[in-house]
This record gives sequence, structure tokens and C-alpha cells, in this order.
Amino acid sequence: MEKIKLKIDGKEVEGVRDQCVLDVAREAGIDIPALCYHPDVKASGGSCRVCLVEAHQDGRMKLVTSCNYPVREGLEIKTDTELVRRIRKGVLELLLARVPDSKVVQDLALKYGIEEPRFFKDEGDNYRNKCIACGLCTAVCEDVVGVSAISMCERGYEKAPGTPYKKVSDVCIGCGACAYVCPTDAIEMIDDGDTRKIWGREFKMIKCSVCGKPYIPEAQVDWIVSTKGKDRAFFDKCPDHR
Amino acid sequence: MEAITSTEQLDSYVDNLKASYDAEKLSVLICFGTGCLANGARDVAEAFKQEFDKQGLKINVDIGFKTTGCHGYCENGPLVVLRPKDILYLKVRPKDVPEIVEKSIKSDEIIDRLVYKDVNTKEVISQYQEIPFYAHQKRITLRNIGHIDPTSIDDYLLCEGYKGLAKALSMDPDDVITEVEKSGLRGRGGGGFPAGRKWRSCKAVSSDVHYVMCNGDEGDPGAFMDRSIMEGDPHSVIEGMIIGGYAIGASQGYIYVRDEYPLAVKNLHSALDAARGKGFLGKGILGKNFDFDIKISRGGGAFVCGESSALMRSLEGKVGEPRAKYIRSVEKGLYDKPSVLNNVETWNNIPEIIRNGSGWYASFGTEGSKGTKVFSLVGKVNNTGLVEVPMGITIKELVENIGGGVLGGKKFKAVQTGGPSGGCIPDSKKDLPIDFDSLTGAGSMMGSGGIIVMDEETCMVDVAKYFISFLVEESCGKCAPCRDGLPRMRQILVDITEGRGKDGDIEALEELCDVLTHGALCGLGTSAANPVLSTIRYFRDEYEAHIRDKKCPAGVCKSLITYSIDPEKCTGCMLCAKKCPQQCITGEKKQAHVIDSEKCIKCGVCKDVCNFDAVRIK
Repeated sequence: MEKIKLKIDGKEVEGVRDQCVLDVAREAGIDIPALCYHPDVKASGGSCRVCLVEAHQDGRMKLVTSCNYPVREGLEIKTDTELVRRIRKGVLELLLARVPDSKVVQDLALKYGIEEPRFFKDEGDNYRNKCIACGLCTAVCEDVVGVSAISMCERGYEKAPGTPYKKVSDVCIGCGACAYVCPTDAIEMIDDGDTRKIWGREFKMIKCSVCGKPYIPEAQVDWIVSTKGKDRAFFDKCPDHR
Repeated sequence: MEAITSTEQLDSYVDNLKASYDAEKLSVLICFGTGCLANGARDVAEAFKQEFDKQGLKINVDIGFKTTGCHGYCENGPLVVLRPKDILYLKVRPKDVPEIVEKSIKSDEIIDRLVYKDVNTKEVISQYQEIPFYAHQKRITLRNIGHIDPTSIDDYLLCEGYKGLAKALSMDPDDVITEVEKSGLRGRGGGGFPAGRKWRSCKAVSSDVHYVMCNGDEGDPGAFMDRSIMEGDPHSVIEGMIIGGYAIGASQGYIYVRDEYPLAVKNLHSALDAARGKGFLGKGILGKNFDFDIKISRGGGAFVCGESSALMRSLEGKVGEPRAKYIRSVEKGLYDKPSVLNNVETWNNIPEIIRNGSGWYASFGTEGSKGTKVFSLVGKVNNTGLVEVPMGITIKELVENIGGGVLGGKKFKAVQTGGPSGGCIPDSKKDLPIDFDSLTGAGSMMGSGGIIVMDEETCMVDVAKYFISFLVEESCGKCAPCRDGLPRMRQILVDITEGRGKDGDIEALEELCDVLTHGALCGLGTSAANPVLSTIRYFRDEYEAHIRDKKCPAGVCKSLITYSIDPEKCTGCMLCAKKCPQQCITGEKKQAHVIDSEKCIKCGVCKDVCNFDAVRIK
């Protein structure tokens, strides 16, 4: 792997070719706020625009999203300039207007001095479910889980994740990866006894043979056994008791 | 149809065509562009055929007859041209046809009623090229359109078609790229990126496969340059793409056309079949070790799919959403392979550049923007339509010389260029040369070439609202600034135009523009602020009048205007009272009338029907 030397906020750091600036920065202990990016989800990022930074190269500067900007030799990144703060603040004000009840977005916006957005607040479905339509949930479902039970529906302002035609999905395995990665906790997943409810469907959970705790949906076990060839007996015990 | 397998065969085939073609033969050309077809050109063509039958004139024996692509003068369609004298008849109806055959074909008379009359000088002009609309144009891109039958490859070959390809194939591919570089051709889709440089950087990327693509997803409101080219001269685009494929080492090309252009799709398909039949597409083109073919992909109707990365995703069968272009598509484009995407008009220019040489092409235009550009000139102007001019012509020349000035003698206010993401350029800048850099410098952009002329009765806040509303509908929703910022901008603009504007609105708009320009993901988002920024820049006083005085100076925004009748001018003819849908105009015959502003819905019918200019808007 080709090593790349670059500077972030004046600090010399090292990454590998095509690694994103955000990962390199975090490895170097430099924090850049980001919502829609997850290092394990290849197709994630680029949508929330919170991780914008200045990229300086060959005497030119452009504002880029650090979550998908590839590192290059001689690149210099500035994560906290006046321009970065100004645009990031603007983006956060818009996100807060979209999801005024999201604690995550509220806290982040407050760091940039926004208590209340100046613009009209959303009162549609998104207002209730805190979703910023970043697409991380659908990316994890497709790229990591591999079932594509949900995808981004509609376009423009109405864009939101959902099952096809908003009907109960036959292919969903109830794994909850979407809810787990959601940066704004917008996806409702309720575990009640040995039943999990998510995307309008109920899943029966398997109990751990040691502690008796229901911990994984049967449908998820079926999926892993059939696609990964894993032994079904492996799922008798929860991760804590394996 | 026999394939042509060498340059020599092509030359002798064309020589034979030319030998049997009689340029002096009397011919009737009927425009079958979309505009003329909608105006009834098919019926006119049918009437000609019937009349020829009746008069015993045999088509192709006694008289030439063909249907062509768009002449650009669409508002005066259906257009009929009589060769060889190039007499242009406008707004021809089937009932005019017997008279045309009798007077202008069987004898030598011109029918004054059907020829062009200049609105300003009242001069009657029968000759195609002498009409001001055409006289000031320089046609390179539109060289064949209107003259050839787009479904006939022989017609294209007669106009030196595929000669550029033959020449390119005799050159080294690198030299072909050098020619395109030296010509100074910049991408006609709007970005203006040098075409040759794009080709060279794509070729430099080593890969088993390279692609060339043609962007025919023209979506700007009021723009129809690419449609006319694809409909009227499909072979020019195909020939350009074959040359491009040879230059960069691609063997597959794609044309992405919007599905709303059925005639373009049809004519492209028939042209591809004809080109395959002649051996210009397929294996071993013109006997050279070069294989190339083209597929057509029809778009699903999303404006954003005209954006390069979204177009490529759509071509791959995925949702047409843009991606970050930090790695350029010349490196990783379609299916992650190095790809060249050029616009219809760019491809169309390539054969002529190769055939005539880069120096010839570079002799047109300005230092930084070479060649010509096709514009669709629309709005409040006397002559609307498709025009091609050298780069560097001023806005004033375009509007006054070719457009024939502002409609109804009203005052020119601004032109909007560059489509929904372009901007408005005011009267004070009408000497600005139209080229890539000048337009960008003035806060607008070239875009694909839409030019909308606006007069004094156009409200600039309303214009900004219109374009932002368009963009709200067309935003794909992937990134926050565009998806969430545009609807908030629209709301502020709606409030301003409906009398709810407040101090700070202009600043809030400017801040939202700032976030979009710097923060959005793709070109649609980063340029979406232009309609607002340019109108604030040049017409700030108009925004302020709406916000502070609650007035719309242009008299457009209904919430801010009232209609009244000037008693000095009103003759009491009672016409407005009769036409008013609210029946809220009262008054005795021959007495000044009065509008009840409580009941008035500001529809403007009274103003439209008044013959005495007595209706006032305040």
C-alpha cells in the first residue's frame, strides 16, 4: 500500500493512497464532525456535508467533504477555518430546520452557535422521525448486510429511506444494522421480550441458551446460515457467552 | 446497402452521389422539426404530395421534395423552403399549398403574404439568407440542419459527411487529440472544459476499456439546441463520437437522450442503422483496425441526470444521483472505467474541426472561447428560435440584430442565460460579449445556451422564484444544502412576492446562497444560487421595493399590485366590463369605468383587452 504524506491543520500525518481524509484525521486524533459517514460502509458519506474541510493542493483551494476526499501527496487540509465554520454552520442550520427534535443535530448545531434555525421547520414525516435522509441506513443494508430491504425513496425534499412502496418487507432480516448506524437515531427498533419490531414488521428472536436473553432474530440467523455457510449451532449462545 | 471499406471507396461513392445530384433542380423543403410538426407540417407535406399528383408533377423526377430538421425559426412554422432560390415561406397552411404550386413552382411568382415582413422596418424579404434572423448568424453546428433529410445518410454524405472521420482515421490518434486541443473547442454542455484536454487525460489512463458518451439530456426550460441537432443532423453527432472513440481508444459509445425527445431517439436510431450499413460503425471501420459502435440509452426524465456523474449512474441502470467528482470521470467514469462525456453540440463540431483543421475553427470566436455557439433565443423578443453565432457577439447584437428587438417596442430589462442555474444580466451590461468567461464573470453562465429575453414588465424577484422552484422540484435530495436549502430559499422568495418580506430576508438569501455555492455536492447545487445572487446583484432595489414598500415595480406580483382605470384614457367602450370574469368593472357607456379592487382577482384580462391603454397597474 502506497504511503501518502499530508498535512492536517499544520500537523504532518500519514495515510495510504485513496484513504479518505476523515479516517486519516481521526487516526491522528483530529476531530472533524460528521454524520452520514461510517468507515465500514463503503458507499456511505458525501451527503450530510457536515465534514466539509478546506483542501489545499497545487496552490488551489476547494471545500471538500473529508469523508470521501482521497488523500494525495502534498495535500494540506484545514479543518477549522472561517470558511469551513461558516458553511458548516449553514449546513447545520438547515439540518436543524429539518429535524428540530434530533438531540444529535441540536448539540452539534449549538457548538456552532445555533439554537433555533431562522427558516421554516419541517413538520412532515421527517420531523417526527429525526431522519436527515443521509442514506447511511440504506448503504449498510445493501453493502454490508447485502439484503437491500430498504432504499431511498422519492427525491428532493421528500427523499427518505423506506421499504418498497412502504409495505412490509419480505426480505428484511430484522438485523437492525440500519438503526445501529443511523447518526440521528431516527429508525425505530423495539425489542420487546422475544419480539423485535422494525420497519413495520415483527421478528421472532432466538434466546441465548446460557443467559436466556433473546438476542438475534431467527430471520437473521437463517440469512447468515444460508449465505455465509455458518453452522446454525453457533447462534445458540449470545456473543457474551460464546 | 454495401459497406464502404476504404477512404477511396467513400470518395468515389460521394462523387457518384454528387454527379447525380442536381443543385439547380427546383425543390420543396418542409421543416419536420418538432415545432413545425406541432404546427401542422405533416398536413402541409401531405397537401404538397396531393397537389403534385393533381398537377402531374413526379417527385424526384420533375421536382425535389424532402422533409428536413429544424430551421430554428420555430415560432413562424411550418416553414417551407423553395430551392434553388431559397425562398422561405412562413406559417404555411395546407390551404396555401395549391397557390404555392401554381404561382411559385409552376411559375416564378413570390407570394407576399407568406414571406417574412420585418416588424420594425416593414420590409418584405423572401430570401432565406437575407432575413435578419439568419443574416447575422454563422452556422457551423447547424450547418446541415434544415438542408438535409436527417433520415438520409446520402444527404449527409453530400454535405461532406464522414469526410472528417476518414481524415481522422488516416491520422495518429494522438494527432487527432492535438487538433481538437488546438481548435480551442470547449465543452458546449455548459462547463466549458477544453474538450481536447479532457480527451487527452482520459486516454492517458491505462485501462482495458475506455468509453465515450454523448450527453443529450437537455433539460433547461426553453432550451432545445441539442434536440434540434439530434433530430435534424444525427450523423454529425455520431461521426463526432466515432472520431472521439478512435482518438481515445474506445470501442463503445453511448448516447444518453431524454425520453421526452421521441423524434431525436427515432432519428438517431435510424442514423445508427444507416451508419452501420455503410460500415462507419462496426468492425474494421473504413478498412482500419478500429472497431466502434454506439448504443442509445433513454433517460427517465430527471433534470439532474444531465449532470455527468448522475448521467453515468443512470446509464449503469442505477438511480441517477451525482457522486463526488474528486476522482474525475476521465479516470473512473462509466462502470469505473476512464470515460469521456461530451455534449451533443460538442460532438457535432468535431467532424468539421478535423475536416477543416483546427486553425479554421479557431478563427471564429474570442481568445478564450473559440468557435460558434447555438442559443435558443426565447422570451420577450420579436424573433424567437434557434440561432448560431460566433462566440463574443454582444448581448445587444443578439437581441437587436437577430432577435429583432424587444417585443411590442417595450424596454429591454435583462437576459437570463445558462438555464435554471444561470443568472440574469441587466440592460446596463448589454454590451457584454457572450463567451464562457464573460458570462461567468457577470454572475451568470453559458450553460447549454438558453437565452431568455426579459422586458420592463418582468419582475426579477418573480424570475428568481420561478427558477428556484424549478430547482426545488429537480433536486435529487442527496445532499443537505440543495435538498433543504432550496425550499427555504423558495419560501423566503414566496414571502417577499406575497407581501410578507421583512428586513434581513435579502441577507438570509445571500447566506443560503453561500452555503449552496460552497457546500453542495454537484454542479446543480453549487450553481443553484445563481438566479438569486444575480438578481440581488443587479436588481437589489426591486427586492427592497417588495420588502419595504410592499410594491412590485414591474407590476407582476399579484399580492402587491392593484388594477385601476385611467379616467382620462377610458372611452367607456365597456369591453373590459364585458370580459371581466369577476364582473367587478362598472361604468356607463361612454363614461370612465371603475374597478372594484375588493373583488378584483388581478387576472389582467381588462389590461389585455383594452384598446386605449387605460388600465393601470400600481
